[in-house]
Amino acid sequence: DQVLHIVPKTLQQVQHLRHLCNTLPLDLWKPLLPEDISTGEDLHMRVPGPLVQEVKDSLDEHLISYNILEQDVGALLDQSVRRTGGSPRRGPAGYNYTQYHPMDEIYQWMTQVKESNSELVTLHDLGKTSENRTIYYLQISQPSNKNKKIIWMDCGIHAREWISPAFCQWFVKEILQNYKSDPKISRFLQNLDLYILPVLNVDGYIYSWEKERLWRKNRSPHMNGTCYGTDLNRNFNSSWGSIGVSYNCSSNIFCGSGPESEPETRAVAHFIERKKEDIVCYLTIHSYGQYILTPYGSTTKPPSNNEELIQVAEKAAAALMGKYGTSYQVGSTSSILYSNSGSSRDWAHMIGIPFSYTFELRDNGTHGFLLPEDQIEPTCEETM
Amino acid sequence: VPGVGHKYYLQFTTEDYRSRDSAGSCLATVLFEQGNSPPAVTISCVDTKDEKQIQEEDNKFYQKIKQQTKPIMANDIPDSYGNIEPALEPVWALAVVGSSKIMWEKSTENLSYSMAQVKSAKQWIRQDDFVEFDYTVLLHEIPTQEMISCHLRVIWLPGHPMKVKHFCASENQWFEETSGMESGSAAGILQEKEQNF
Repeated sequence: DQVLHIVPKTLQQVQHLRHLCNTLPLDLWKPLLPEDISTGEDLHMRVPGPLVQEVKDSLDEHLISYNILEQDVGALLDQSVRRTGGSPRRGPAGYNYTQYHPMDEIYQWMTQVKESNSELVTLHDLGKTSENRTIYYLQISQPSNKNKKIIWMDCGIHAREWISPAFCQWFVKEILQNYKSDPKISRFLQNLDLYILPVLNVDGYIYSWEKERLWRKNRSPHMNGTCYGTDLNRNFNSSWGSIGVSYNCSSNIFCGSGPESEPETRAVAHFIERKKEDIVCYLTIHSYGQYILTPYGSTTKPPSNNEELIQVAEKAAAALMGKYGTSYQVGSTSSILYSNSGSSRDWAHMIGIPFSYTFELRDNGTHGFLLPEDQIEPTCEETM
Repeated sequence: VPGVGHKYYLQFTTEDYRSRDSAGSCLATVLFEQGNSPPAVTISCVDTKDEKQIQEEDNKFYQKIKQQTKPIMANDIPDSYGNIEPALEPVWALAVVGSSKIMWEKSTENLSYSMAQVKSAKQWIRQDDFVEFDYTVLLHEIPTQEMISCHLRVIWLPGHPMKVKHFCASENQWFEETSGMESGSAAGILQEKEQNF
């Protein structure tokens, strides 16, 4: 196998490359989807051994220049040593779900998941981040002529909460590994579609890996680049800017220059707005604290379906506790946590999505944001 | 309490910070008077932890530290992946205790804290029986979500109340100090806090 690097120069070249990707079993590493191939942008693709000559001939024919990034991928794989740790819970292509993964690995994982489960899973582009990275979500949908309702779950809105994207990945794996054998899951999928966004705040997540582990916000520049980041969970149009926020960019709860000022917020909000008639449940995953939070954060006035919201959440908390004894508190953000405005969960409920919850996963403060990898499995198992 | 402030009545259970084993239960009242003075607290607890075992572990750790000829130095506990090297766990635990002192002082009716990470730990070797560490810790402040950086000095001997000095980034001076930072000496420590470690 070889990895080729190409920078398309013209639209014809882009079209030809897309054609190659769509007709041959090529492994596109960058960008993730053929439709995202564009002129002037780096393209990296792994070409299976038997096809290398054919692909090169085709590129030569179309005057597309390339260079070889990797001569022999097989040899590389043999030598590669992964970080040790975590019990071997593998999924597609040996992915370790009991370790934290950097963003490029998560991007890879998303393509692999889509490819190994193409009868059920599709990958979609939600929009771009502040630093122009793509936000992808996975749609798990059993083909049928029924018009199914949607459950939306997003993870990683706050960069430092690493257990959150880890949970989204775990969730996807569990569903895909068990939908044929587990009657509960297969019934689920007969009637519901699952939309999973593993990392919403991509720029922030990468920043927490590369520069500052405890970063929270996105990476949009303010004040001429002297200050960075808006708290995406204060940026939604739900009583925006009214309480529990700061108007100062240097604060970790800076609500942004206006509601939906951030591209990440807009990407999610526009999509959910379009689909809201069909979305029955909105879930957003955070850490830490061990809470299942109901609306609202911006006011203590209870939502119209409060009793039902609490009842369902309490059942969930009880089931969760049944697994390992972990106790989660249930209640509205404003009553058991603190007041805040502009949260995605409040906004989802306000536009009419009946079941909107924020999950704050383990732990209670002992490790806080730095939850050890050996707690990924139990946290995810109990939350499932 | 009209004209005075807010009084809270609390009943809670405690657990071991690491193992989550039950450690006892407490009844307390906390009175926040109007204004920012620390609250008035009354508290009584029933301990269920095993004193003997704790004393043994404390002494084991103490002996190991005392045997050091080179001072212990470490950064980022836990690391980015949440790992704490077993040998460094007691160093982390001492920081947790010391930080709880800072948190006790800084908490208000509207601000609470947890210790997020030990950024750095440095041991000062002493001639006397005491063990001394200098820490930089990050405290997670709620609801502002900020990480407050604090400098913490801890002086300890099993069976004795821990002595703690601290200085946080937003403050202007060392708390409970007489003459600034001295290396390796016990002079200038004023406030103490009883801790069963």
